[in-house]
Amino acid sequence: MSWRGELNKYLASAYKNWLIAKRNVFTLFELFFWPMISLLSIGLLTRFLQVGPDMVSFLLVGAIALTILQVAQIDVAYVLLFDMWSKSIKNTFIAPVESYHLVFGALVFGIVRGSFVFAILAVVSRYLFGFDFLAGGPLMVAIFLSGVFAVAAVIGMTVCISILTFGQKADVAAWSLSGLILLVSGIYYPVDVLPYALQVVAKAIPLTYFLEYYRSAYIPGSYNLALGATLAAAYLILGLILLQISIERARRTGILLRLSE
Amino acid sequence: MDVPAIEAQGLCKSYKSFRRPRSVVLKDISLKIEPGEIFGLLGPNGSGKTTLISIFSTLIYPDRGRLKVLGLDSRKSRDAIRKVINISTAKPNFPWSLTVRENLRHYAMLYGMYGPELSRAVADVMDAFALEEYRDVTFEDLSTGLKQRLALAKAMLNRPKLLFLDEPTTGLDPEMANKTRQLVRSIHEDGISVVLSTHYMPEAEVLCDRIAFLRKGVVVALDTPQNLKGHLRLGERVVIVYEGPADLSRLKEDPGIMSVKSEPGRAEFVVDKSSESLDRIVKQFSKARIKDIAVKEPDLEDVFLELAR
Ligand SMILES: Nc1ncnc2c1ncn2[C@@H]1O[C@H](COP(=O)(O)OP(=O)(O)OP(=O)(O)O)[C@@H](O)[C@H]1O
Ligand SMILES: [Mg+2]
Repeated sequence: MSWRGELNKYLASAYKNWLIAKRNVFTLFELFFWPMISLLSIGLLTRFLQVGPDMVSFLLVGAIALTILQVAQIDVAYVLLFDMWSKSIKNTFIAPVESYHLVFGALVFGIVRGSFVFAILAVVSRYLFGFDFLAGGPLMVAIFLSGVFAVAAVIGMTVCISILTFGQKADVAAWSLSGLILLVSGIYYPVDVLPYALQVVAKAIPLTYFLEYYRSAYIPGSYNLALGATLAAAYLILGLILLQISIERARRTGILLRLSE
Repeated sequence: MDVPAIEAQGLCKSYKSFRRPRSVVLKDISLKIEPGEIFGLLGPNGSGKTTLISIFSTLIYPDRGRLKVLGLDSRKSRDAIRKVINISTAKPNFPWSLTVRENLRHYAMLYGMYGPELSRAVADVMDAFALEEYRDVTFEDLSTGLKQRLALAKAMLNRPKLLFLDEPTTGLDPEMANKTRQLVRSIHEDGISVVLSTHYMPEAEVLCDRIAFLRKGVVVALDTPQNLKGHLRLGERVVIVYEGPADLSRLKEDPGIMSVKSEPGRAEFVVDKSSESLDRIVKQFSKARIKDIAVKEPDLEDVFLELAR
């Protein structure tokens, strides 16, 4: 198969997600409403608390990371969720595609949407709160966003794995994973304020390191980007392997048919 | 290229669930489907037709048994198999908000098509299944018949050598069902092997070269429609309700009449073809007053009653 054919197997999911998003008014909520709510509420909170510029940057970076994470993870999960909701799973899994085509294809669209949200929030926060999201330069922003997108892909895959393993209603359990990440990876407070046990968990989440790295542009501090990147890559590979296993298992148990009923 | 479309040996499948005990759905299915054949899987609800088609198409895997699809081992060459088969599922479903054309483009991409080849494949199937006019209609706005046609069109996108059709006419009105049967025949004329499931006996009879009867996960009969009807002595049923005298002894010798059952005022004949023997039957009632004549196609009920004996 030519590389263009192979590329199209990936882009198929991005194409589908884009078309569905385009025709769904609630996409506007995902892209504008919720990101704006989160930016404004955190931004205004910093005013109310009259915190200094360090704190403002700390909190706004956390808010933007969480927002982009949520936008992008849902796109990856959508690759299976849309098929399940429209009962067309059989049509996808009869085709000669692998789990990585589906995941990375959907991630492409998630990256487009996430970057779009980042751009909007960057502009708005500059005007409203005088905060510059690009202070660390374009490379730093790109590295930070890559980290967020990698974590988003892992969460999206976890949603898919749960559904394939436990059935349709299991997606709820998987969504709580982003709640856990909110709690422990230092979105709104430094990881050191956590109880020791949770600090250990935080150290295992790559987002923690990417946040520390990005924040170092505003508040001098140490960070371990290499560890974060290694962890992210390891989770991505592990996620793909587990996803592949859960698809094969769903084919053995017949859950794959149940999901399209 | 004379490898069998399907070679199955000892396929077994059971489903287990949390609450209920493991249910056995297919028991030791062995069969061979010739290239270029239209093969029918006929059986009542829950007999395992969808499960068997899903196994043949590598959507799900059997618990036990060996399967070759177009000569390819179903364990070792799944990707190669998936490239040359396709399926139209029972109750066709596609992403709702995508139009006919977008849906077809999306699936063509999943098959690794691109550029002009992709556009041509999409245009070809829209043309073959008369969907051009609806190209910009979203899936949710299509009628049931058009959804079925889209499912067939999607199933032809990759020009498969083997096509699976799970209940292609269920839910369609008689006219649409007939059109769909014509489409299936035209697909078959291109040399494509077809495996289709149905619980509608006349459909299997007009479309299929051979039929396997599935019952509770077991193939209880497998043959051409003609042979099956012959062996099972299944034919059309002519029921005559009458008053007065009638001599039925001659009809019992008639080669076109497979069985005669009579009780006072009512006679029931099983005939090969009613169009050929109806006249001879009715003539025996010339001295009687006929109150009612009914001609009934054999249906699955009859088949299973017969097979259960
Ligand atoms: N994924 C599944 N998990 C558990 N049980 C299943 C699953 N799919 C089917 N079954 C059960 O297996 C049996 C056979 O189902 P199958 O769908 O293969 O039959 P069918 O002949 O296609 O029936 P129908 O005419 O209703 O389509 C049924 O009793 C059904 O309830
Ligand atoms: Mg079925």
